[in-house]
Amino acid sequence: MKVKFTALLSAIFAVTILLSACSNSSKNNNSDASPSPAAPSPTGTEAGSSAEPSAQPEKLRILAANVGGKTPEETALFQQELSKRTGFEVTLEKPASDYDQKQLTALSSGEKYDLMEISDLAKFRNFISQGVVTDLTDFVTSSSMLSDPAVIPSAEWDLLKTEDGKIYGVFSKFQGATMPIVRQDWMDKLGLQQPKTLDELYKVLKAFKEKDPDENGKADTYGLSTAGLYEIQGIMSAAGLKARYVMKDGKRTIPYATDAAIPMYEWFAKLVKEGIMDPNFVTNDTAKMRNLFLTDRVGMVTYWDAWVGMFNNLKKQEDPNTKFVAKGIESIPGPDGTILMRRGDPDFWFIPANAEHPEAAKKFLEFWHSQEGIILGSLGIEGEDYTVSNGTYTLTENGKAHNLDHGVPFWYNTKVEPPFGKLPGVQEAQDLATKYATLELALPGWPDAEKILQNYALKAMSGQMPAKDAVAAMQKELKAANLID
Amino acid sequence: MLYLMMVPVVAYFILFAYYPLVKGLQVSFQDYRLMGNRPYIGFHNFETVLHDPMFWRSFWNTLWIGAGIMICGFLAPLILALSLNEVLQNWYKKTAQMILYIPHLLSWVVVGGIWIFLLSPDTGLVNLLLVKLTGHSPIHFLSQESWARSIMIGSAVWKDMGYNCILFLAGIVGINPSLYEAARMDGATRWQQVRFVTVPQLMNTMKVVILLNTMGIFRIFDQVFVMRNPAIARKVDVLMMYTYQKGIMEIRIGVAAAASFFVVLFTLLITMAVRKLTRFDEV
Repeated sequence: MKVKFTALLSAIFAVTILLSACSNSSKNNNSDASPSPAAPSPTGTEAGSSAEPSAQPEKLRILAANVGGKTPEETALFQQELSKRTGFEVTLEKPASDYDQKQLTALSSGEKYDLMEISDLAKFRNFISQGVVTDLTDFVTSSSMLSDPAVIPSAEWDLLKTEDGKIYGVFSKFQGATMPIVRQDWMDKLGLQQPKTLDELYKVLKAFKEKDPDENGKADTYGLSTAGLYEIQGIMSAAGLKARYVMKDGKRTIPYATDAAIPMYEWFAKLVKEGIMDPNFVTNDTAKMRNLFLTDRVGMVTYWDAWVGMFNNLKKQEDPNTKFVAKGIESIPGPDGTILMRRGDPDFWFIPANAEHPEAAKKFLEFWHSQEGIILGSLGIEGEDYTVSNGTYTLTENGKAHNLDHGVPFWYNTKVEPPFGKLPGVQEAQDLATKYATLELALPGWPDAEKILQNYALKAMSGQMPAKDAVAAMQKELKAANLID
Repeated sequence: MLYLMMVPVVAYFILFAYYPLVKGLQVSFQDYRLMGNRPYIGFHNFETVLHDPMFWRSFWNTLWIGAGIMICGFLAPLILALSLNEVLQNWYKKTAQMILYIPHLLSWVVVGGIWIFLLSPDTGLVNLLLVKLTGHSPIHFLSQESWARSIMIGSAVWKDMGYNCILFLAGIVGINPSLYEAARMDGATRWQQVRFVTVPQLMNTMKVVILLNTMGIFRIFDQVFVMRNPAIARKVDVLMMYTYQKGIMEIRIGVAAAASFFVVLFTLLITMAVRKLTRFDEV
């Protein structure tokens, strides 16, 4: 019996050692895969052209957060369509949830993807510093497609450039800005004008609360709802306060944590006290906030420009005779007249340093900005989401439900006209974004600074703590943690 | 042959428990990068964790919430099981057990969402009752630090009360009926039967429940992840949340691995202490 037991234990240890060896082997492969400058594309693929077909199609493995179908079944069709259009043997993986965790696990375990999607610049910088990302500077600058300002405006590349001027990512879509979005139909019904000062905004929100704009005879509406501090830039603009970090005379400052923010937090506390602001704003996530807006419970939210169109379209689909009109409006101008809006972190692709088919990935990036790629990313799959007859596009029921969004609701390429135009209200909102929105500065300590800021700001806004004390406490903690200078 | 039957279990633990544990330990000693070189840096990650005030805040939060869940999560189902055992109508007993057990089957995403809704200051049932019955103004339970830990403890106890209650009821069913018969012959009242027969006979089940609750103290995560918000984070962020933030949000894998080993160490220490205190091995 002892012999058998020893043999069994030996077998188990052998399996363990074998597994460890496999793991080490894969780790060693990773170690070799240090980031190296990508070879420039010999010739930029022209818009709409597909990759050269070969006897054995090259493989392309993609991990996507937004690009793909709305269901696993549609994602499988999307994968087939990508293979057909690019000429590569594409594997598209779109996790249903926990994308960040899936991405991190894949990267640290040495799984080999040729392209990955990301939309968090702070995290991306971390990836760069950890040797995960391929340098695409030469590829982008030598690609006739991507360096064409009509395809991607030259200034936009600044969003993706690191301090040393290198480019490690390529946009996957046009990302707009956040702004106050109001119920224009309520404004018209109550005879209200677009607010230009904080006092005017207060009057508008108060009217939304008190004058029964939904005409149901109940006092069940709120003036304003947010999802925590997300995204109050449109209102903090009234005091000239930019979100996140601002460098002032070479010093790190957080405007939301300065004395100038005190009257703003007091203003929010007044709204909460008078029942004008949705009391759930502290616990709201953005989905709850959106639902309140769509169900006639609130007259103003602060959200993305693209959602102006989505709000209008969703209500239109629900009831073609709806009076619902959402409209993006300018932030409240600051004391010097400056309007501050928040430009969102861009959504973009990167090629992991251990990618097995980087050249195929580069060809895909050019394809993605071509007419063919854009139509696929917006409308979806021909035959499934839309049909084309004599050059006229018609959406199927699936296509209508998918809201012209398969990862690319909006794009940069001005040569590609949207076949159905833009959703109602979007163009005006995007014009505001283009005119006023600027990117925020997220320095390395921001995640820790944000926790301190949110803790006290929410207490001040909800009236649990005097704004003056909250700001003083923020400043004290931020300084003690060396997060501001 | 008997040893062969152990192979799947042993292989399972080696593959999914011990091997990741050893790898985690290795990572905790490395300056871990997602790709490229991962040099060994001794105890630096452990020092980083020990010098981080956020870690200690999370530690104390874990102890507070964990202790609350352990104590209330032990007493509430025990009282419930003893009460249900006194119910004579079998259908009522079974229905009550089923209803109590349902929350245990649901994930924290669902349970957390339900509680966030129930505790809402404007449309939540709790506040509607509070206003109607007492005239008190609505309380925003989930944005006030003074309520935060109590809510976490209460909702966790509510979720798992049915499960622990069934463990106790199973223990009660196993008690020898002759003990009750003897007690009745000696003139014991219902209360005396519970006190001098049921409770002492349940001692082993109680030890198991206490030990299970203890081992779960430092593993609290899902609930806090779903129910927290920035206004109460300081009172409810637990050690697993700290590990998640360091590892997934900040991509400091080495620091996260070191923190998770402290979680293992604390769990080991507290479990050993509870085993000793409850004399777990003495039947």
